Amino acid sequence: MNLYSYIFRRLLYVVPVLLGVCLIIFVIFNVVAPDPAFILLGRHATIEQIATLHRELGMDRPFIVQYIDIVKSAFTFDFGYSWSSKQQIWEMIKAGAGPSLTITLPLFILSNVLSISIALLVAFYRGKLIDKVVLLVSIAMMSIPSLAYILFGQWFFAAYLGWFEIAGYEPGFPNFIPYTLLPVLLYVAISWGPETRFYRSVILDEVYQDYVRTARAKGVSELSVMFKHVLKNAMIPILTQIILQIPFLILGLLLAESFFSIPGLGGIIIKAINTSDFPVIKAMTILSAIGFILFGVITDVLYTVVDPRMRLK
Amino acid sequence: MRMRNVFLVMALVTSAFFAGCAKKQDASERVLNVVSAAEIKGFDPIMADDLYSGREIAKIYEGLLAYHWLKMPYELIPNLAESMPEVSKDGITYTFKIKKGIVFQDDAAFPGGKGREIEAADFVYSIKRLADSKNQATGWWILDGKLKGLNEWRAKNEKLPAANYDEEVVGLKAIDKHTLQFQLAKPFPQFLYALAMGFTSVVSKEVVAKYGKEFINHPVGTGPYVLPKFDQGKRITYTKNPTFREKFYPSDASPEFQHLLADAGKKLPLIDKIVVHVMVESQPAWLKFGKGEVDYFGVPKDNFATAVKDNKLSDDLVNKGITLTISPQLDVTYTSFNYDNKLFHNTNLRRAMYLAYDEKKANELFYNNTAFPAQSITPPGIAGNVTTYKNQWKGPNLELAKKTLALAGYPEGKGLPEIIYDIPDSTTSRQMGEYFQKQMKQIGIKIKISASPWPEFQAKLKKRSGQMFGIAWGADYPDAENFLQLFYGPNSAPGANSTNYNNPQYNKDFEAAVKMQDSPARTALYEKLNQYLAEEAVSLFGVHRQAYTLQHGWLRNYRAGDLHHDSLQYLNIDSAKKEELLKKF
Repeated sequence: MNLYSYIFRRLLYVVPVLLGVCLIIFVIFNVVAPDPAFILLGRHATIEQIATLHRELGMDRPFIVQYIDIVKSAFTFDFGYSWSSKQQIWEMIKAGAGPSLTITLPLFILSNVLSISIALLVAFYRGKLIDKVVLLVSIAMMSIPSLAYILFGQWFFAAYLGWFEIAGYEPGFPNFIPYTLLPVLLYVAISWGPETRFYRSVILDEVYQDYVRTARAKGVSELSVMFKHVLKNAMIPILTQIILQIPFLILGLLLAESFFSIPGLGGIIIKAINTSDFPVIKAMTILSAIGFILFGVITDVLYTVVDPRMRLK
Repeated sequence: MRMRNVFLVMALVTSAFFAGCAKKQDASERVLNVVSAAEIKGFDPIMADDLYSGREIAKIYEGLLAYHWLKMPYELIPNLAESMPEVSKDGITYTFKIKKGIVFQDDAAFPGGKGREIEAADFVYSIKRLADSKNQATGWWILDGKLKGLNEWRAKNEKLPAANYDEEVVGLKAIDKHTLQFQLAKPFPQFLYALAMGFTSVVSKEVVAKYGKEFINHPVGTGPYVLPKFDQGKRITYTKNPTFREKFYPSDASPEFQHLLADAGKKLPLIDKIVVHVMVESQPAWLKFGKGEVDYFGVPKDNFATAVKDNKLSDDLVNKGITLTISPQLDVTYTSFNYDNKLFHNTNLRRAMYLAYDEKKANELFYNNTAFPAQSITPPGIAGNVTTYKNQWKGPNLELAKKTLALAGYPEGKGLPEIIYDIPDSTTSRQMGEYFQKQMKQIGIKIKISASPWPEFQAKLKKRSGQMFGIAWGADYPDAENFLQLFYGPNSAPGANSTNYNNPQYNKDFEAAVKMQDSPARTALYEKLNQYLAEEAVSLFGVHRQAYTLQHGWLRNYRAGDLHHDSLQYLNIDSAKKEELLKKF
């Protein structure tokens, strides 16, 4: 199958997946989620006001009509207005995506480059002291909860040493840098342990393959073995790991945004959940689902680039 | 040796780099930095039913009346009104003269972008907007059934595609450009408090029309500060309203606030710029306060022990020039019963539960021993609260609790079904629920905790489906009526009386009290109602909380007040002192 037909076919899968996602959103909202009217109308709300609001929000319409409405917005990307902030949802997403990306993008690049580099290094020195030390440190770092990193980092590096801003955000380059440095560095430390261990095991899987032994027997240098042969062949799981992180970049970091007062999408999602702001929850869920499908397709296509033996079916 | 030097240089360079990452504070900048511990819902006065939104709205919007900044008990004073209203003898008609020359803040909604003068008709429009059911105003309750013809107008217009704001309402009239008249449906002396609440602030119809749905994010009022656009971000920056009227810092004060008169007679607002940092987590806000980046902050529960001991500040904080303000809040916590369930009509059962509960220990555990034990529903500082009164059913008295439970017909809890105790789903509420469960177990009462997210918890109360629940109530205005109505039968759920308590005698006395103007006779009736609730153990009254707020030495005129949402216009910063004190940080 050629590349374009494959992409077209995979993109067609978006339709049933989105219909399923819409159904899940619909069920969660109508069965599990608390009634937004009690939040929107405050503590003095009367039953009459609640009924009027249900009518205004379209919550009294037949279930099928409500479901079709969700499906419609999933395919037209018209998510309307937030129930609580009354802002256009696309405006909210545009406003929140920038601050989220100022943390997640540098974090994504730094943590992957650092983890893969260290994983290659320790795989090269497998079984030696450096390998054992890295393994021990990464396990120790994984054992510490992320909240502890944040609380300690804010107190020690920002408040005590005064190296960074404690919390806050200013839009525009380079204004945001003083506010994003600490969360980025802390999250690099948080993700370093699990990522290094993952990449190390992926690379070690390749290091013991026959082709590596053959390359060495032919006198290929160790550096060349590691970069040209081992890394290239380990790219499939590495690519999967990296590309599937991308949709999360947009969604932001919930905990970091809350503790560092960064006005990103993570905070918007939390606020929407807390206030049962259904249009926002719906928009974010649909966009995330589409993001995962798209990046899944990209991953598949990239597999064929890094490993020509693979065929798209 | 050489290697050591290289490391040293590297360490110094790294430190210098990172030190450059943090911004330096400029003490000469006269900016007030404050924290909002919750997200701001928006800037529509009719929707500002929570404390945090109420505080933000009061920077931009104003109403006819306000509370005097330096007087306790709370005293209403004219704000946009020229003077206090003329009230007819029957307490039905309130006539206000509005100050002349007050203009809305400049905005593109007005011709040429220049804000126009406010008129009595703007108040009529603003109050109709509050009543318009299509706006789903969270503040409608304050005028529901209070003004002649307003409920009818609301009902009639609910059926129309758009409400007819030109249609006259008998109880709400602009007599001329600067005279406004209200006619009440029945006497309601608390009506004036409604006019000091954010819900009744004046808005401009041009601005509402221009921004439509997004009016909530485009505040344009008459207040001391302006905010060009609210983007729901984490930092809200206000600047001084250049067209703000001549308003001055008060020259008189209650004895306890005499020390806050240094700026008496100065034009308000005293600070040119305010930055509100929206910080939901207390740890970063506390650290920011510690660095002098926030001017005042309430002591977080988790930092209380290190900051305050025996109502005194730690030496470290004192050395930095920080001071502590302790102020009682107008609130009450209480555990109550759903009286739809006949089980709770048993007075001895309620009393036994009250006697078994150790409030003193709860105060230590959950409030760092800073709260006042509540003897009944009305907090201290409001007429109706008797400071010397002691509720005889307030525990702990396990022996008497057991005897009373036996009198109730359930010796050692035998025969008593398991009681479901509803709480909001938060860590502290769970801890409180578990504590209550443990206390009741001591006399043989089995409690099952049911935690729900806040909206669901509220839904249970509104639908009268729970058995027992724990909740708190904060004053909307400084009048015992606002607390006593929580047990008034006709207010039963979905109204504010979530207990569904309905006692004809209590209802009769309450109805008599709310019609009365402030007087010794009304206070006596309020006291009677309070004592009745306590003696009958209608609810298990918990505590009245206190606010512990820290201020930096450079902040002037600070005082805490639950109802002073417009407080920031009175605050001032001593820049020289700030520069001097920041050296100690």
